[in-house]
Amino acid sequence: MIEWLASTQQAVVGGVLVWASAFKLVHRNASAAARRSVLARITGKEHAVGAYRAVGVVEALIGLLLLAPPVLVVEAYAAAALSSCMLGYLAYGKVKAPDAGCGCLGDKEAPITARGFVRAGLLVALSLLAVAGSGWWPTERPLATIGLVVVELAVFAALSPELDHRWLFPLRRWRVRMSHPLAGTEVVVPLESTVQQLVKSTVYQSVVTQLSSDLLDHWDEGEWRLLAYAARTPSGPATAVFAVPRLAYRPDDVKMAMVPAEQEALV
Amino acid sequence: MVTPQAPLNAGPDILGRRRFLSSAVLGTTATVITATTIGSVAPEAVADPKLDVEAGAPDPNFVEGRITGIAGGLLIVTGSDRTINQIHLTKATSVWKLRPTTSDAAKVGDGLYARGVRMPDGTLAADAIWLNIVNLQVHITSIGRSVMHMDHRGDRIVGHVVSGTTAAVYNSTPAVSDLSLLQVGRHAQVIGAWRPDTNEVDLATVYAAA
Repeated sequence: MIEWLASTQQAVVGGVLVWASAFKLVHRNASAAARRSVLARITGKEHAVGAYRAVGVVEALIGLLLLAPPVLVVEAYAAAALSSCMLGYLAYGKVKAPDAGCGCLGDKEAPITARGFVRAGLLVALSLLAVAGSGWWPTERPLATIGLVVVELAVFAALSPELDHRWLFPLRRWRVRMSHPLAGTEVVVPLESTVQQLVKSTVYQSVVTQLSSDLLDHWDEGEWRLLAYAARTPSGPATAVFAVPRLAYRPDDVKMAMVPAEQEALV
Repeated sequence: MVTPQAPLNAGPDILGRRRFLSSAVLGTTATVITATTIGSVAPEAVADPKLDVEAGAPDPNFVEGRITGIAGGLLIVTGSDRTINQIHLTKATSVWKLRPTTSDAAKVGDGLYARGVRMPDGTLAADAIWLNIVNLQVHITSIGRSVMHMDHRGDRIVGHVVSGTTAAVYNSTPAVSDLSLLQVGRHAQVIGAWRPDTNEVDLATVYAAA
């Protein structure tokens, strides 16, 4: 059983490494991803692309060795060492460049999070498990082997924020399309829409230079919504109070009163 | 009939003031007074606001920072460049904190933008202050009941929908309270009130394409 599990891991770890290297070596956005990644902070921008490709070559080499017969224990050790370096790289990035992405598996920029650490840790664990494997591709239980490889690759994909746009966002979009969680909100005329209407009115535009404050107070009065602003008029401080149609868009109907501050003091 | 729009701070004073101002503009009572219910005031009658700030120099009539102390109607604000400002609030100061509110909403720790007039003693007499206001360009990463998760340049932001306050503006049309056209994966611009020292905001207005 352990033997079977261990032998299968060669394929999984090899597959993930080849996938990572393929992105680094052939993807057309790879050089841009390199310059945005943590690697650029270590090597400097000018050497980032070269270093990125070099990492890709090492990954491709170890990945292909793992995938191809014969099985040598040293391959699994090399993969474990590479994955451990990956963990160290992530830790460095998390501390030194928290806003940069790791650039591991795709060109979508995603900062280093716990998922990245779990993914690298899993790769270390599976590489070490592969050390115990001796057969190249297990011949007994072929279906179970394929199933295990698929499940493990799916786990790697799920742990990759770079791939969220391929499955997670479409899934969430679909769920929101089926039943929008925010569809049941209370239907009201938002204050924002009343303010937008006020700003369009000629009454407001004629006194806007005298208004000193932002919206002071607002309340509803039947079909009107009243909005109060502080104003500085040539005759002294005042309150500008506007009545705006609440349920209709009629900016021409907006009314205004400029109430001098001393009159208000009498209230 | 006055609808208590902001019951949190609508004391008897405020309700009386609203009634008075309502009657001034709608003319529902005969007691009003010499309030000028006018259609137009010539803008030339008002002196241009003086913009005597040199390019590159800080605007003396503007303050940003966080409230580090409140003492009797005076806000002590520490700016991001460590300058300390004292801000006076008056009855004519507008206060925004997710919605227009009153000066007692200001709390130590709140982020603040203030515009006003610099007094000879160095304090700022505020015309308007905005508390914890944020303006973010985001991608919507997930939508739940009463929350919206967003990505802002790699930072995760949790946006809380506030029933009756949160509004959406789709394709620059008038604001509506219907948020059901927001979509996962789309770009949006969000105006909201930050909850200090968290990655959470209460949503005021969401601008999106639909």
